[in-house]
Amino acid sequence: MLFNSYEFIFIFLPLVLFGFQLARRLGYNAAIVFLIFVSLIFYAWWRPINLLIIVPSIFVNYILAKTLLRYAEYEGKARVRNFLLTIGIISNLLFLGYFKYLTFFQGTSNDLFGTDFVLTYIILPLGISFITFQKIAFLVDVHGGGIKAFKFREFALFVLFFPQLIAGPIVHFREMVPQYRQLGIRIDRNMLALGISLFCIGLFKKAVLADGIAIHVTPVFDAAAAGQVITLTYAWIAAIGFTLQIYFDFAGYSDMAAGLALAIGLRLPVNFDSPLKSCNIIDFWARWHITLTRFLTAYVYNPIALYGTRRRLGKGLGGFNPNNPKFTAFLTLLAAPTFLTMLLSGLWHGAGYTFIVWGALHGAYLCINHGWRLIAPKRFSSRETYEKWMRPVGFVITFLSVTFAMVWFRAESVGSALELSKAMAGTNGIGIPEKIVGMIGLENMSFIIPEAVSLLEFFTTVAWVIALLVVALLLPNGFQFLAAYEPVLGYKLKDNPSSRVAAKLSWQPSLPWFLIISVLLISAVLRVGGQSEFLYWQF
Amino acid sequence: MTDEELLRSFSQTLGDLLGTTDLELTLETLRSEVPGWDSFNYINFIVAIEIGHNVKFKVADVESFRNVGQIVSELQAMLA
Repeated sequence: MLFNSYEFIFIFLPLVLFGFQLARRLGYNAAIVFLIFVSLIFYAWWRPINLLIIVPSIFVNYILAKTLLRYAEYEGKARVRNFLLTIGIISNLLFLGYFKYLTFFQGTSNDLFGTDFVLTYIILPLGISFITFQKIAFLVDVHGGGIKAFKFREFALFVLFFPQLIAGPIVHFREMVPQYRQLGIRIDRNMLALGISLFCIGLFKKAVLADGIAIHVTPVFDAAAAGQVITLTYAWIAAIGFTLQIYFDFAGYSDMAAGLALAIGLRLPVNFDSPLKSCNIIDFWARWHITLTRFLTAYVYNPIALYGTRRRLGKGLGGFNPNNPKFTAFLTLLAAPTFLTMLLSGLWHGAGYTFIVWGALHGAYLCINHGWRLIAPKRFSSRETYEKWMRPVGFVITFLSVTFAMVWFRAESVGSALELSKAMAGTNGIGIPEKIVGMIGLENMSFIIPEAVSLLEFFTTVAWVIALLVVALLLPNGFQFLAAYEPVLGYKLKDNPSSRVAAKLSWQPSLPWFLIISVLLISAVLRVGGQSEFLYWQF
Repeated sequence: MTDEELLRSFSQTLGDLLGTTDLELTLETLRSEVPGWDSFNYINFIVAIEIGHNVKFKVADVESFRNVGQIVSELQAMLA
């Protein structure tokens, strides 16, 4: 079931909120079981047969975790615990691998090694990448002693909780389960109003902004996939337009997920925090899909970097000294783990070469950014001077780098991504509506390509891009407006211009905010209708 | 060592890594509150502590520290 569908907004959500209030009065267990039950309905809505995949996987992980806990009581059973954890991680990865990567690996093997595998087309169960990561994090936490006790229903809800089931945030057991246990029997009206407001803000971002610009972006990518020549103008419109589309799509989803959880009385971790305002790519990844970055850092980057650093020191090669950086140390202790982590991030997003290139691009960006930070600040008279110059320059470079990589994220194939990349570099000329070409007399310029579009169509597209850029780059985000009420776990306003604006216009249960939210909701509901899935639901 | 002594030594170590002299960590300090304390510098910081105190943190612990205070208390437990 989609958050942005009539059945969800007008039937499922009101019934869940009402039913949950009744269940809470019956006690903690009834409330938890009720949430599990509605989450199963939510998940089964698309393909009921998927329950036969997700439910057994929950049982298997529960048994593994309970066994891990049992062995935690015995000293000297570390090997057994390590073995169980390894089995758990491998079985979860195989589970994900079968559904998500089997076809890709068969195709790659046929391409590279001339094998003759018949491609197995499997319909990907919704949210499997998110669910798998969450279960792995849970097993690691149990193994590390971070979780001492849990009940089956708590674990089941932790995996299935419908606001974050399909596309995150990827939550930790320790973040959510203590909150379950503190759910009171009475509805918190402030949290309900806060949650519904945040849901409406998210719905507006998705249905009006993301789906609105998608109409202008999709035809360009379709044309590139069909082998049509794309000009520099339209390649950049498509690249920036798609960056904004996925930005508002994911921002909208994240707001809606956090809002739904709040309405129920729970706070999710922050997952998206105005990443396009970032002034460097390291900061970008601290603001875009924050819980995925957190997961990959904890379970991929940290172990590799720790192992590498300890190994170098063990060999007497010296660790990494930022004041006197050595290239080999930089390469082995920073660049290699970073690049590998981002490559895996690319593969996690999709089983395809374009996603691997996207991950590799971001890996390279991060390595360059880290290297730059080691060298460049010393060349400026002070840290303040460095910041003063690098903030605007870094912002432009970060935005362009993210936009360029997004072409690979969105393109149908490596071929069309390459064509669009070349077009962005200007190899196909600059496209200008033919009417303007005729008016100004640009016919003789070889690099000007007349585009067969009306002026209205062209300027509408440009206006969409500019308007969404303004919203993304200058306005506060939904969490900032609601910051006084901690809409997501631990959220605090930072000291920047958009936070100051948000603090002055802070959300309140008041008439003006009721009117604002009503306008957002009505304009969004009028746009809901067709099946417009969230881009991150395919992962 | 007392918590205050560890905090002073942590501040010195992290200050060296980040190239700042006026860093003062507290038990409540979060990584996100210190500019430049990203995952890379975090690993460097952890390994620097390991070398300085001749200890080895568990990988799961490294991920689970929520604030500086938790690193201090884990280190105190290892040194005890």
